[in-house]
Amino acid sequence: MKLEELVEAIDARVLQPGGRRTTEIARVFAGDKMSALLEQAGPQTMLVTSLANSQLACVAEIMDCPVLCLVDGAEPDPNLLEAAARCETVVVVSALDMFEACGRLHRRLYGDDFQRS
Amino acid sequence: MTNSCYPIAGGKFENAGSASRRLKEQLKQIGVDGRIMRRIMIAAYEAEMNVVIHACKGNLWVRFDRDRFNMEVIDEGPGIADLELAMKPGFSTASAEAKQLGFGAGMGLPNIKKASDLFEVDSHVGKGTRVRSTIYLKNQPAEQSFRRGLAVEEERCTGCLECLKACPTRALRVWNQRPHVLSSLCIECTACIEVCRWGAFKIPDTSSSNPPEQTAMEAHTLVIPRAFLTQFGSKIPPRAVLAALRSLGFKDVRYTEEWEKELRRIVRCYAAQQEQQPVISPICPAAINLIESQFPSLIPQIAPFVSPIEAAVEAWSTETAAFVSACPSQHTLLEHSGLSGRFRILNPADLSARIFPQLRIEAGTPCSNQKRNARPVRSKNQNHGVLEAWGVKNVVEILEKAEGGLAGDFQVLELSCCENGCYGTPVFDENPFMAEQRWSASGLERCRAVSVMSAKRPYLARTGMRLDPDMGKAIEKLALIEELTTSLPGRDCGACGAPSCSSLAEDIVLERRPSLECPFAPEGKDP
Repeated sequence: MKLEELVEAIDARVLQPGGRRTTEIARVFAGDKMSALLEQAGPQTMLVTSLANSQLACVAEIMDCPVLCLVDGAEPDPNLLEAAARCETVVVVSALDMFEACGRLHRRLYGDDFQRS
Repeated sequence: MTNSCYPIAGGKFENAGSASRRLKEQLKQIGVDGRIMRRIMIAAYEAEMNVVIHACKGNLWVRFDRDRFNMEVIDEGPGIADLELAMKPGFSTASAEAKQLGFGAGMGLPNIKKASDLFEVDSHVGKGTRVRSTIYLKNQPAEQSFRRGLAVEEERCTGCLECLKACPTRALRVWNQRPHVLSSLCIECTACIEVCRWGAFKIPDTSSSNPPEQTAMEAHTLVIPRAFLTQFGSKIPPRAVLAALRSLGFKDVRYTEEWEKELRRIVRCYAAQQEQQPVISPICPAAINLIESQFPSLIPQIAPFVSPIEAAVEAWSTETAAFVSACPSQHTLLEHSGLSGRFRILNPADLSARIFPQLRIEAGTPCSNQKRNARPVRSKNQNHGVLEAWGVKNVVEILEKAEGGLAGDFQVLELSCCENGCYGTPVFDENPFMAEQRWSASGLERCRAVSVMSAKRPYLARTGMRLDPDMGKAIEKLALIEELTTSLPGRDCGACGAPSCSSLAEDIVLERRPSLECPFAPEGKDP
């Protein structure tokens, strides 16, 4: 699925467009533990988190993750945007809370089929 | 092979991750496969963040080999009091600041372990922590690459066949006047180096394994066999060689024998508590290779400790270190002990060439001012339960006796393949006894506390001897070999390039090389 479609699904604002808005996204991983994000990040994965510090950009960079999605309207650390710009990672922020955002993303990705994940 | 070091600053979250990012750039240039890259990056980033979160400063040392990636992250910090607890997923001592940023979930060390093929963590409270990780670049390291401590300079061979007779495991062939090592049989003793007058066998060059800018031997600590200091004749005493080494920039010079001494002590204590005797001391890695490949029934009797040179690699230090191996078996151990970029392996010949211009002939006989400290060559072995023996022929003979249950009156076997232990390695020229006496007379012996580690992996029988992985086929092949052997003259002359008629039969049956034949085979019985 195109990144743009997912962004639209959660009414997210694009803070850092990066170079890959049309990137194909195959899966979403949500979490607030850096270790888990690191392990799950990948070239077709969107990371959803309520963290907003600059280390997120580092994780995205070293794991080739194309997009970071902050939830709860989090105010990103300016260093995060700067670092994301450097490694061309897209950063979007949604005002929705984690539960709501994940629910909408899941639906958009897999439809009503809740068995899939 | 590439060595690199990336410094890590503790406590600074803004710059954290820079070591991992730089490592990634390097991985991309090398062209590491994506899935392997992920594992390396997980291990590197978690280890780096551990330093940032917990320590004052540290270094990420990496080393790429043909088939593996070795990483070592050493920090100067508080250390870990309870390693077992630290390895437990979910346990963390991270600060509130770190936790706020999403770190400190207690997944760091478990994640590194999960991403690694080999993983080790070692910590000293109040000093720091060391994490070592090895990740294979291919699925498994190739069997071939496991034995590469012996290099062959083919063009030096004159076809004299001396090495065929000397090899205790019949691992050598001379085909077309070129020596070949059957690496599955080679135990990396020094028998072939010893007998070859032409210098066709040697320890691999190390200049190719260290990048050019690092061949300048820029290491803090140098670990050498003592014998190295006694190789420069009667006019240049060990002390002068030591001074020359220091002038190359080595701050600290240590000897493998420091660990060997401790190993002897600890194994003797261990042996006293064992029911099955004799216990075999893993002093000489070549002797251990011999047991693993030819005397597997004795493997349970090997004391479960690492060899002296491996213990030296494990010694706690945050400084760079260079190791001089005395023989092929030590070289292989060094290559495979997961050395990170913090370490160099030096060839003794390279090091000798390097210090030669620095050596100064000292007036007077080298030992004259040290006479009071002079010790007898070898303090008479007071413990009659300990059998010290050397020379590969003796080692083979003693192991045969031990296997037959004829050595039960000894508690410990301390066997070395080279004459007089490492003093006798043919990598060095000086007579082993003169070399040892010069060392004893030098008064350089000091006692430093060192520790010897338990073996990391169990000693295992080597499969190189098997004729076929399938036992049924192996039996068939064995029958063929025996039949063929009886049809050969049985002179074991070596003219065919194999050490014996049965070895030739084996080579033919296993198709080790096309068109092998016996030059003296009787008419009509030609294999």
